[in-house]
Amino acid sequence: MEFRDNKAIYLQIAEYVCEHILLGKWKADEKVPSVRELAVEMEVNPNTVMRTYELLQNKSIINNKRGIGFFVDEAAIDNVINYRKQQFIIDDLPVVFRNIYLLNISFDELENQYKTFVKENFNA
Amino acid sequence: MININNLNFGYSKHKPLFKNMSMRLSNGHIYGLLGKNGAGKSSLLKNLAGLVYAQSGTLDVMGFNPAKRQPALLEQICFIPEEFYLPSVKIDAYLKANAPFYKNFDHSYFTDLIKEFDIPVEQKLINMSYGQKKKVIIAFGLATQAKLVIMDEPTNGLDIPSKAQFRKIMASAMTDERCIIISTHQVRDLDNLIDTVIMLDENDVALKASVEEITAKLTFKKVKEIDDSIIYAEASLSGYNAVMPNYHQEESKLDMELLFNAILAEKIKFKPLFS
Amino acid sequence: MNNTFNINRFGLLLRRQWLDFGKIYLISLVVLLGIVVGFYSYSIPSPFKDNNFDYNGNLDMRFRYPLFLILGFVFISIVASSYFNILGQKSRAILELMTPASIFEKFLAGVVYTAIISLFSYLLIFYLTDLAFVKYLNGHLDAFKVLLPQNGAIREVETITYQVFNDEGYRKYCGYFFAFPFLITSLFLLGSVYFNRFHYIKTALSVMVFIGLASYLVVKLSIWLMEGKVANHHNFRKEDKDWVLLTILLVTSIITLIVWTITYIRLKEKEV
Repeated sequence: MEFRDNKAIYLQIAEYVCEHILLGKWKADEKVPSVRELAVEMEVNPNTVMRTYELLQNKSIINNKRGIGFFVDEAAIDNVINYRKQQFIIDDLPVVFRNIYLLNISFDELENQYKTFVKENFNA
Repeated sequence: MININNLNFGYSKHKPLFKNMSMRLSNGHIYGLLGKNGAGKSSLLKNLAGLVYAQSGTLDVMGFNPAKRQPALLEQICFIPEEFYLPSVKIDAYLKANAPFYKNFDHSYFTDLIKEFDIPVEQKLINMSYGQKKKVIIAFGLATQAKLVIMDEPTNGLDIPSKAQFRKIMASAMTDERCIIISTHQVRDLDNLIDTVIMLDENDVALKASVEEITAKLTFKKVKEIDDSIIYAEASLSGYNAVMPNYHQEESKLDMELLFNAILAEKIKFKPLFS
Repeated sequence: MNNTFNINRFGLLLRRQWLDFGKIYLISLVVLLGIVVGFYSYSIPSPFKDNNFDYNGNLDMRFRYPLFLILGFVFISIVASSYFNILGQKSRAILELMTPASIFEKFLAGVVYTAIISLFSYLLIFYLTDLAFVKYLNGHLDAFKVLLPQNGAIREVETITYQVFNDEGYRKYCGYFFAFPFLITSLFLLGSVYFNRFHYIKTALSVMVFIGLASYLVVKLSIWLMEGKVANHHNFRKEDKDWVLLTILLVTSIITLIVWTITYIRLKEKEV
């Protein structure tokens, strides 16, 4: 995996795991790769992956069955969405807001743009 | 695992390399040893392996004094030097002669590593390229199951695919019982493997901190212009790569090269942050 | 685990050292064999040469003694001098010192290879070559008959080993000089640990300088101590000679042991 420069590695790995869950590659109650397996795949220190898994456990995205390993939580998808929403509001929204303010874009214009985007990309 | 206490070392009495150096290293970590040329990275590693002798101070490696070179300790150390020599034999002959010294030697793991590194088994060791030889001694060293793994510039001489293989192998070799110390100039090869940074400068340890601790205290980011909060910055294409105190609990990615240069340039400013 | 000596580990070490040392060693044995055979072929009596007989009328094989001594010295000293020379090369020394065997075992392996194996393989090669040439000569004794003035009988040639072991004088003297080859190998082994480069020349020079200085001092000292103070007497008795020989044996043995001890300590102190 190519890591970006602007974010801690353990968070980037968390995003990777979340992505897999959202895309349905790892389903609820399925086992996720062990710390070591994921560390090897990512070419990172296992302690970093451990930190990722601790974070995801706190967010109830994965859970630890003692002695067996880590599993995707039943409510993982909702929790991933919640977690990413939070992240988006903290990390990305301020930048968007700043630009909206600086460029003086009206909410009507914004709504139109948003609808077109959804239509073009997701056919909704 | 390792306890260094008031170590004084130098190749001549008048030019000390380490002055009253003290440090503790524990298992379950991959330590990245950084330092300028001549800062003593290799010398520190050699001290730990008992290849050179301290002038004063104590060194404790797994309860042994490495200077005594006792077999019980030697079989628990995997030392990968930067320069090395392998005899003019094939891999299995080398294995037959050397593996029996290590009672935990894992032959099937060695075979796996050799396969993964794509090493021609039929070729004599002496005729292999530097990179191939290096991969052989890395594979051998890890297969000994030694608890202390010391590597001096391990990625030197490895080609691009081998470096990725090396990172994968090291990620899987890191266990809770192991202590891995890697000295390197090429931090970009290894920065995601290292969990604790040790920097040597001016006869002592300039910094020893985990990546977690460093990124909790400092933030690394691109900025457009320099202000007072920035401790150190380097010009880049789109502004500056900067190091500053982490006021807002930002979760930035540690830029080891930037940190290295920052500490060399602004040692005094970093001292109070990591004490 | 015994950290000083373990017979099992020592065996492994000998086998491991063979991997490094063995190939060069075998090549040097072949060279040695070539040289011995060469000298014999050149020097043995031949019907086409003059001066084939010694003063007793036997076929003249006296060249064997200086050849044995000089070649022996050269061979065992070169082997001893090359044993630890890898410790002078940083790249080789690290893996050598990191091998999980004790310093004592590494030292002992050095002694086994340089003092025992090299000496015995030299003796063996010399013995076999000598035996072969003696057999050959004895098979062709008739060729020499015509050279004898009164058609007298030619006695069979004896092997050098037979001569040495069947002559009481030889046996006795050889016994007293028993420690010499060990002294030579121990000195050159020490040299190979002590110096990082040009081990042989440096060892040879150091030993010569040391012997020169020591003899000079002994002579000067004895002159200073005894000149004009001790009555001269020249009645040197046979017992005195034995006593001198015994001293030689003792002194060489003791020096050998001391040099080996120093080698062990130097090996312990070796840094890379």
